[in-house]
Amino acid sequence: MSCMKKLVFILVVFSICVTAQNKEPEKILYNVLNNFSQINDYKVDVEIKIDVSFLKVPNTKAIIYFKQPDKAHIESRGFALLPKGALDISPTSLLKGKYTAFFDRVEDYEGVKAAVIKTIPLGESEDVILSTFWIDREKSRIMKVEVSTKLNGTFNIELKYSNKIKYSQLPSSMVFSFDVSKLNISKRFTGGEDQDKEGKNNTGPILGKVFVNYSNYVVNKGIPDSVFTKPKEKIERKRH
Amino acid sequence: MLTLVQIELYKIFKKWRSYIGFIAITGLVVIIQVAISIEGSRTLNFATRNLQQSFVFVGNFLNGYLVSQIILNALFLHIPFFIALVAGDLMAGEATGGTYRMIITRPVSRFSIVTAKYLAGIIYTTLLILWLAIMSLGLGMFLFGKGELLSLQSNALVIFARDDIFWRFLCAYGFAIVSMSVVSSLAFLFSSLVENSIGPIITTMAIIIAFFIISAIDVSIFQTIKPYLFTNYIGGWKAFFNKPPDYSSVLKSLMVLGIHLVVLYGLALYLFRRKDILT
Amino acid sequence: MQTEKIIEIKNLSKQFREVKAVDDLNLTVYRGDVFGFLGPNGAGKSTTIRMLLSLIKPTNGEIRLFDKSLSKDRISILKNIGAIVEKPDFYTYLSAFKNLEILGRLSKTDVSRKRIMEVLEFVGLEKRYKSKVKTFSHGMKQRLGLAQALLHDPELIILDEPTTGLDPQGMKEIRELILHLSKDKNKTILLSSHILSEVEIVASRMIILNKGKKIVEGTVSELLNRDELRVTVEVENNEIAEEKIRESKWMEKLKTTANNKFTFALVQNEISELNKFLVQNGVKVNALIPTRSLEDYFLNIMEKED
Repeated sequence: MSCMKKLVFILVVFSICVTAQNKEPEKILYNVLNNFSQINDYKVDVEIKIDVSFLKVPNTKAIIYFKQPDKAHIESRGFALLPKGALDISPTSLLKGKYTAFFDRVEDYEGVKAAVIKTIPLGESEDVILSTFWIDREKSRIMKVEVSTKLNGTFNIELKYSNKIKYSQLPSSMVFSFDVSKLNISKRFTGGEDQDKEGKNNTGPILGKVFVNYSNYVVNKGIPDSVFTKPKEKIERKRH
Repeated sequence: MLTLVQIELYKIFKKWRSYIGFIAITGLVVIIQVAISIEGSRTLNFATRNLQQSFVFVGNFLNGYLVSQIILNALFLHIPFFIALVAGDLMAGEATGGTYRMIITRPVSRFSIVTAKYLAGIIYTTLLILWLAIMSLGLGMFLFGKGELLSLQSNALVIFARDDIFWRFLCAYGFAIVSMSVVSSLAFLFSSLVENSIGPIITTMAIIIAFFIISAIDVSIFQTIKPYLFTNYIGGWKAFFNKPPDYSSVLKSLMVLGIHLVVLYGLALYLFRRKDILT
Repeated sequence: MQTEKIIEIKNLSKQFREVKAVDDLNLTVYRGDVFGFLGPNGAGKSTTIRMLLSLIKPTNGEIRLFDKSLSKDRISILKNIGAIVEKPDFYTYLSAFKNLEILGRLSKTDVSRKRIMEVLEFVGLEKRYKSKVKTFSHGMKQRLGLAQALLHDPELIILDEPTTGLDPQGMKEIRELILHLSKDKNKTILLSSHILSEVEIVASRMIILNKGKKIVEGTVSELLNRDELRVTVEVENNEIAEEKIRESKWMEKLKTTANNKFTFALVQNEISELNKFLVQNGVKVNALIPTRSLEDYFLNIMEKED
């Protein structure tokens, strides 16, 4: 084959590859969203364990309600504490808005060849700077996501799934990791911008983790909108 | 001894001044609870606004436990005054009334007289603290219900599960009985030295306030003295609201307070046994 | 015959800083005595009584009661003593009955309601048993003081100014009570009083203190016979009497004159001599009245001390 033909062949193959690559991240993400769209709503029992240096709270039990596209609500007979980003971890929420997606690589993650896809939201007003998804392409579900934000630093969500749960797109457990040093409340306990005893500035990230176990999903039984308008985030005086 | 203690308690509760503490505690607790009922939600929201920026949480934080903790923190100077009011009169009141002559000429030892009065003072203190517990915890739980206890400490935000709180309060009130008994003992000692109860009451309060001030001033000589001041240990009940409870701190506080109790009682007894009754 | 010593005080002293309130006092009180304890203000009477009742600790000396040492057997001794020390004070916010009940329980005797009402009736307060002591007059408090002293039927009763604030009727009643307790109940009574006439009537023996020291001790009759008498002569012609007395040795013995009465301090055998002198000098004597009172004796002693 002549040099020119070789060059054209390479260019064509390259184009095909690039073209193929350009379309794949959106398609992968679309599949995830599509898979999750089968879930109209669910109610699930959760057990929450918080592992943050300045938060000493007992393990708690609660109920999380979800309704498409982005309604989430938490209730508890006792009390429950959850980082805001850990309440609604649905793909619908994580992939909302307009963004540009890039296929980064394939990575072995938890025994699965996960597609690592990065998304960059379009629009300057978004708090999220960059999101990285580890996607199980075979089951069209998110295994892990790492989100970098302007104001609250970076947080990770690691999702595990169980064969015991009928709906494979619903996780059985989650680990939510975040940089507590970015939180306003932490400044009071970790010093924030103050120096520590040795005179060094505490500017490094301090990792906090929240472990959530999901069980007893009740899916697609219908949840009225009124459930999501209860004042869940206010501290209310209740008599038990 | 039991007869003498009964007589002393009878005399204590026949005086109107003994009821001031109970009435005042009732009034103060009710006022605080009403205020919290009106403003508590807003105040708590404000206090936890930073937490609410990053977390979603649900729970009945405005409950009887929080109210009780607020009351316990708020009344650290008032309770000693009510106790000194009665303990300062235990011995001096007999001198003022001239009744020393009546009781000491009876076939009872001065040791019995002093000990019975001292124990009566301790019992009064215990009853006052129990009343505080009933009013704040009991009435608080009736009005505000149970719930979790949110506690902002120096290095952590602590939330206690509702079934992990009541025993802490029992321990805290138990500790308060011991620490307030030291106040009673101090007033009792002064009472045994003079013939008018005003002096012991004022002196006891002056000492408590002075000790608190000394402990609060960040000067090196004061900080050296601080570990020897009993007021440094009065707030030891707070250690029960650490996670986990700081038992070593509690034990140390109890030991120091216990030593104060023994020394103050012993001194009062020694001085009274040597005292000439001239009134 | 006096045999059983109820109170025995040996070399008793009490020093209050610069003041020696009681100075080397010795006295003995026998069973059945009504023992008068006399002296001016500040003589040491109350201090001595307080030491007897263990309200004050002696600086020196020994006190024995019922043949037991007070310092060693205080409790058993006090079971047999009832006392009023100066003004009786009670728990004014309690009733008369309640005060006695409390004091009875402190005495560790089985003081029943019946007994309390008995003593209240004895002192005339049975109708006011429920009244708070703060509503009582001074006299009523004195009666109640007596009641608490008698409550547990003690063998020795110490009364420090028991008639203070009482009217003449009340004083008479106390006096009769003391005699009744002494003669009929064989109680031993230590009575300290400023009202010398009262002591003179009831006391069998007495002691006079001054500046902490014992001045004299003895029976009333012994003491009054020992010394000078006050003799008042009532005359008709007092100018002549005055002139004659002035010129004679009797002027030294003259103590007071008032109108037609002249009072002399004489020993027993001088009375008739004076009478003879006056008559022989033309003085018409209407009356010759010897007064032999404890008060006079007491004042006489105090003058000599000064």
